[in-house]
Amino acid sequence: MTVAVGYLAGKSGTSPLYLAVEAAKTLKTPLAVVTVVPRPWMTPSLGRVDAEYAEYAEQLAAKSAKQAQEFIDKLADGLEVSYHKVAHRSTSGGLLEAASELEPEVLILGSASDGSLGQVVIGSTADRLLHSSPVPMAISPRGYRGSKAGGLTRITAAYPGTPEALHVVERVAALGERLRVPMRVITFAVRGRTMYPPEVGLRAEDSILDQLAAHARETLAQLKTDGAVGNDVELDVVTGNGWDEALDAADWQDGDLLAIGTSPVGGIARVFLGSRGSKILRHSPVPVLVLPG
Amino acid sequence: MTAPPLSLSQQLFRRRPVIGAPVAHGASDHLKRSIGTFQLTMFGVGATVGTGIFIVLQQAVPKAGPAVLVSFVIAGIAAGLSAICYAEMASSVPVSGSTYSYAYSTMGEVVAMGVAACLLLEYGVSMSATSIGWSGYLNELLNNLFGFQIPHALTAAPLGEDPGIMNLPAMILIIMCALLLIRGASESALVNSIMVIIKLGVLALFVAIAFTAFTTDHFAGFWDKGFAGITAGASTIFFTFIGLDAVSTAGDEVKNPQKTMPRAIIGALVVVTSIYILVAFAGLGTQSADDFGSDEQSEAGLAVILQNILHGQTWAATVLSAGAVISIFSVTLVVMYGQTRILFAMGRDGLLPPMFAKVNPRTMTPVNNTIIVAAITGILAGFVPLDYLWDLVSIGTLVAFITVSIGVIILRVREPDLPRAFKVPGYPVTPVLSVIVCGWVLWGLPRVTWLWFAIWVVVVLAFYFLWGRRHSALNDGGDGYIPGQVPGDDDVMFVEEPADHHFVTKHKDEP
Repeated sequence: MTVAVGYLAGKSGTSPLYLAVEAAKTLKTPLAVVTVVPRPWMTPSLGRVDAEYAEYAEQLAAKSAKQAQEFIDKLADGLEVSYHKVAHRSTSGGLLEAASELEPEVLILGSASDGSLGQVVIGSTADRLLHSSPVPMAISPRGYRGSKAGGLTRITAAYPGTPEALHVVERVAALGERLRVPMRVITFAVRGRTMYPPEVGLRAEDSILDQLAAHARETLAQLKTDGAVGNDVELDVVTGNGWDEALDAADWQDGDLLAIGTSPVGGIARVFLGSRGSKILRHSPVPVLVLPG
Repeated sequence: MTAPPLSLSQQLFRRRPVIGAPVAHGASDHLKRSIGTFQLTMFGVGATVGTGIFIVLQQAVPKAGPAVLVSFVIAGIAAGLSAICYAEMASSVPVSGSTYSYAYSTMGEVVAMGVAACLLLEYGVSMSATSIGWSGYLNELLNNLFGFQIPHALTAAPLGEDPGIMNLPAMILIIMCALLLIRGASESALVNSIMVIIKLGVLALFVAIAFTAFTTDHFAGFWDKGFAGITAGASTIFFTFIGLDAVSTAGDEVKNPQKTMPRAIIGALVVVTSIYILVAFAGLGTQSADDFGSDEQSEAGLAVILQNILHGQTWAATVLSAGAVISIFSVTLVVMYGQTRILFAMGRDGLLPPMFAKVNPRTMTPVNNTIIVAAITGILAGFVPLDYLWDLVSIGTLVAFITVSIGVIILRVREPDLPRAFKVPGYPVTPVLSVIVCGWVLWGLPRVTWLWFAIWVVVVLAFYFLWGRRHSALNDGGDGYIPGQVPGDDDVMFVEEPADHHFVTKHKDEP
């Protein structure tokens, strides 16, 4: 078993490597660094016109591996690291291929480079994988530099309160117990935007949010009554005017990890991110673990 | 639950304590006082100029003749006076809410139930009626663009004068709005502004073209319909001024409300009334007053007038219909939203079954509530020709506003020292005048409207006496307060290195 991380020289930055090293150390597994390079055409070409191109791909892989190696050696001496090159037409396709071959416990990707620092930004590669990965995925926020504590200090499960999402809480509880890491369960409740119908006033949505939060508290308390989580688990309902505010209000700490579940349509177990999950993901200030449904 | 040991009158007039709904983080923080007179005026104009003017001429002109211009002024004055009283009511109850919750906190449960009956009627009928109006303009648009019309059987209700099978477009509109609301869509400030611009642009187009065919001859016999006709016209028109109370409820966000509020209300009123009068004046100049009641204008009236002026050229009618189709859609969405939120508030107070107050955790919207509203109004819109019942909207609103004006007086007498951000200028004349003018406009409504209204209120109150009274949240000494403490928020932390290997998800190799 391994932790796999997608890395390409000069492309994704070092934040996924930080997360990957942390994950591998926490889970006590070897680390697999996967680099996807362009696949040369398989058909023989006249005069081998693509020889230089194939060589470029080869070099790119080697360079990525070397860079990653230097970096990882600095971060964690003695960690067992393997380097893999996958030649594929698309990065996401290549990573999927690697995922099915290596069967890692978690596939780690970085954020795209065009968002704000400190937030998870989904690029096109991550986007496709978040809708098809057979293994859990973790995404590091842009500019992530590891936790000061040197590893995981808490896992936060996002739980919308629906029965289908119960598996997230159960899995995170199991994981937290085995890793001896405290866990908390959060339900995010977001206020609808104000509309103005006559004689209804501007605060109708406040009372909706109120009711939603009250209901969410009951559902959360039910988790303890049913024994889905232990008594020392922190339960919280966090509200906000938008997803950004709600996520900001959730009181994050160093070394936090946010876990969200997905519910794929159809019978195949895989990651399939829904609209709500992607909103949580995009506003998260900490690394996010996305579990397949 | 058994009947509480309260006397009946105590029960009927018990008031809900005013407490802020405690919402966890930040969401209910009071906004800064940031709105000035101009913004507030524009807010009022935007909330008021709605579907009404696209439909109302065909209803009001046959009643009042060319003197409908005077009716507009009367209806405007009634709306303005009520809006000013509404502003004081909104500022004396510290929690912003609907007319229903103001009545509940100041005048007691049974009055709140009566006001709720008014609001439900107002919203239910106007939603069905706007969707029927939408159906008319949609058909006009389809006809002009593609030469295709939805068959009459599918655009007319079976109970009307010219019966069809059902009004399919109206039902589809309601279903679309319900789906949007369930998904948590809302009309943002930007969309709202765009809608206002579309509406005003379309009306300006109408006025500009109508003036090319203007003849003063059509104003002959200005006073023919007499005082009664003018009053009847004003009653019908009144519903087009609904929305002016948007200004009133924004009180706690307004800079210097004592000055800003009346200015903005009067400003919005003048702008809106001017727009309406201009449209009516331009429309009246193009054809004789009797033509407004003709059959061909019963649907998409303004568009038909334009087509007649331009001798069959359809471009202007097409633009107007397109504008109406877009803006009526947004109005229906907002009205449906309002209906669901009032039912939600009643459900929370225990005056309706708790099902209405259930919020779906996935969509974060009151889904059941929205579906029930959509089913009922959709059936109404599809099978009952409610567009003739706009008067019911007017009567509901007028009664609600009269209640508010009386409430202002009651509160002044009972709690003279209550801090109020805004006080009605010229008390006690203004609220009394408001009651009188609204009563006058109310008096102009046809008796059959009164009858329908009375039946509806009796039904709602009967429901209250038989069910709501016993299930009210106030029975348990409850006050709707939501406990803020989360169970089990201990903060135990222990970080220890795991002894051996672990899996993120349970793996087949793992025991």
